Amino acid sequence: MLVARDLVRRYGDLTAVDGVSFHIDPGETFGLLGPNGAGKTTTISMAAGLIPADSGSVTVAGEPMGPGEVHVKRHIGLVPQDLAIYPELTARENLMFFGRLQGLRGQPLSRRIDEVLEIIALTDRAKDPTKEYSGGMKRRLNIAIGLLHEPTLLILDEPTVGVDPQSRNAILESVEALSVGGMAVLYTTHYMEEAERLCDRIAIIDSGRIQAEGTRSELITLTGGVDHIRLAGAGQSAATQAALRALPAVEQVAADGHTLTLTVRDAPTAVAGIVTTATGAGMTLSEVEITRPDLESVFLHLTGKALRD
Amino acid sequence: MRQLWTMTASDLRQRVRDRSVIIFALVVPLALMFVFNLTLGGAADQSLDPVTVAVSAPADDTLAPILIASLTQVDGVDVTVDEVSADEARDRARSGTAELGVVIPEGFGDAVRQGEETVVAVTEGDGSGLESDILLTVMQGVLAQLSAGAVTAAAGAQSGVPAEDLGALAQQAATQAAGLNLTEGEAANEQLSIAGALVAGQAGLFLLFTVGFGVLGLIAEREQGTLARLRSMPMRPGLIVTAKGLVSFILGFVATGVLLTAGSIFFGVSFGSPVAVAVLIVCAVAAATSLMFIIARAARTAEQASALQTILALVLAISGGAFFPLTATGALDTVLGLNPIAAFTRGLGITSGGGGLGDIGVPVAIMLTFAVVGLAASRLVPDRGRDL
Repeated sequence: MLVARDLVRRYGDLTAVDGVSFHIDPGETFGLLGPNGAGKTTTISMAAGLIPADSGSVTVAGEPMGPGEVHVKRHIGLVPQDLAIYPELTARENLMFFGRLQGLRGQPLSRRIDEVLEIIALTDRAKDPTKEYSGGMKRRLNIAIGLLHEPTLLILDEPTVGVDPQSRNAILESVEALSVGGMAVLYTTHYMEEAERLCDRIAIIDSGRIQAEGTRSELITLTGGVDHIRLAGAGQSAATQAALRALPAVEQVAADGHTLTLTVRDAPTAVAGIVTTATGAGMTLSEVEITRPDLESVFLHLTGKALRD
Repeated sequence: MRQLWTMTASDLRQRVRDRSVIIFALVVPLALMFVFNLTLGGAADQSLDPVTVAVSAPADDTLAPILIASLTQVDGVDVTVDEVSADEARDRARSGTAELGVVIPEGFGDAVRQGEETVVAVTEGDGSGLESDILLTVMQGVLAQLSAGAVTAAAGAQSGVPAEDLGALAQQAATQAAGLNLTEGEAANEQLSIAGALVAGQAGLFLLFTVGFGVLGLIAEREQGTLARLRSMPMRPGLIVTAKGLVSFILGFVATGVLLTAGSIFFGVSFGSPVAVAVLIVCAVAAATSLMFIIARAARTAEQASALQTILALVLAISGGAFFPLTATGALDTVLGLNPIAAFTRGLGITSGGGGLGDIGVPVAIMLTFAVVGLAASRLVPDRGRDL
């Protein structure tokens, strides 16, 4: 559905996007995960044909995409990070306006507006000026405008920024439903849990470059694929550590006072044997904690900094 | 084309709905016109009060009646002449029962004929005003003409004219109609009345603000994110800019038309041929809109755009004579003449004086040239917002 090849975009001396390549298949949700300033918005601005690439190319449904390409833009729906709605207009008028610009007219447009108003639960407030809406309502309308013409590729740029938890969950559920319906989705976020929940494949982007790309489990293997189990309690000794090291699942044991941190493979399976061995070797456990690697760990592993930096 | 009208109509609907354009393009300029008219209009429409002049004149003097008659023949001033004694003339002026007290001395006529010095004493009352000044000026003129008779008599005596002829010669010189006359007229029919200049100037000034509601809306759209969404729509990017220009054009044309019409009604100004005035408005709007495209590219934020717009509007309006007429000579006069506000006002002066389409070529050419140059310059200005 979308193919980006070696995209480069510079602003003066700053290279905002530096050789980014990725593709999205029909029905797939693809995530661009990275901190603020990583180059996510610039990348999707080129993908949506808002700005030209200094070099590289984007094709959508096999057609080249760029600022002057009119026809190919019918395939995409853009949900910008900003609330791209007109405050003086009602929700229905906003939808009517953008629907007409997408080429929809008459009864089909009215029907479609009724449908999306129903989906975003704004039917009752459809005739109110959007300047009177809450932040969450505006966010929902912002997404609805992108969906109105039923695009084959929906591009969402951090759609949950500044949204309350309830609205955020509603937005995430809507996006999950879209991929079920066969729509390709390009989703940018700096929230690891959103990318993990929504995306079939994820590209980790930082400093304008894609650092790694793959499914969640593929990315996690980049960290070595190991889990950590922390055992806290009294009575740990050199004998306890030796007994634990002897277990096949355990790769490493580190002691820190009354706490032992074990590096293991497949912690959920190994934890029972570890607990039995530790108590059998004289340790009285007060706490057991399993830590599995996530995208945050992957980002830290790849870039040496936290995702929220 | 449908997309163009969709964007234009939606923009106009929003501008009307948020009322800012109505307030800024119509209410504020109309209010200012009323205020300026109260301040300046009084000078144009001032009426002169009746005046009483207490005059003392020798009964048998042949030239004194000429001086007295000149007082009652002033156009626009209702003058009552009371003939009284010399003391009473002074007293009435001092007491305020007469605006002027005039004492024509004994032997006034003979002195004039003989070319001898004589003094007409005038006492100006406390309550005298513009009317008294006018009468004094008239009397000075008449006395100057009479003194010409005295000079003529003296010259005749020196030239050996017989004494019996000198009196007649002096009287002829003093009373004969002047050979040199001053005729009042309008300068090339391009001058508006004070009220007309006020209405035209304010309409021109606020046009420069009104057109900003269209083109400069691009910056607001950029800031609120809707410009990105518009640019993702299946239409040429130039269509967005064209729609904004069209909004500027419509708002500018309607607002200026309404202001000129309201000005005509409220201040009794006639701007002449509606067709010619409409052409002038179209050209002025084109010139003003082109300026907004330069600002839209040069400004990064709405605040910067607003500041630039205000500065340019005030500079052009003041140098274009929107607040008070400016006079200049040489190159400066030429530069001021290229100002679209000055050209607009000048064009309205022509139509106001009865000129039609064929007479407004110069101001139309100035405004259209400004528009073309402005549009060309806007493409050369670095696009600091990187969107246009």
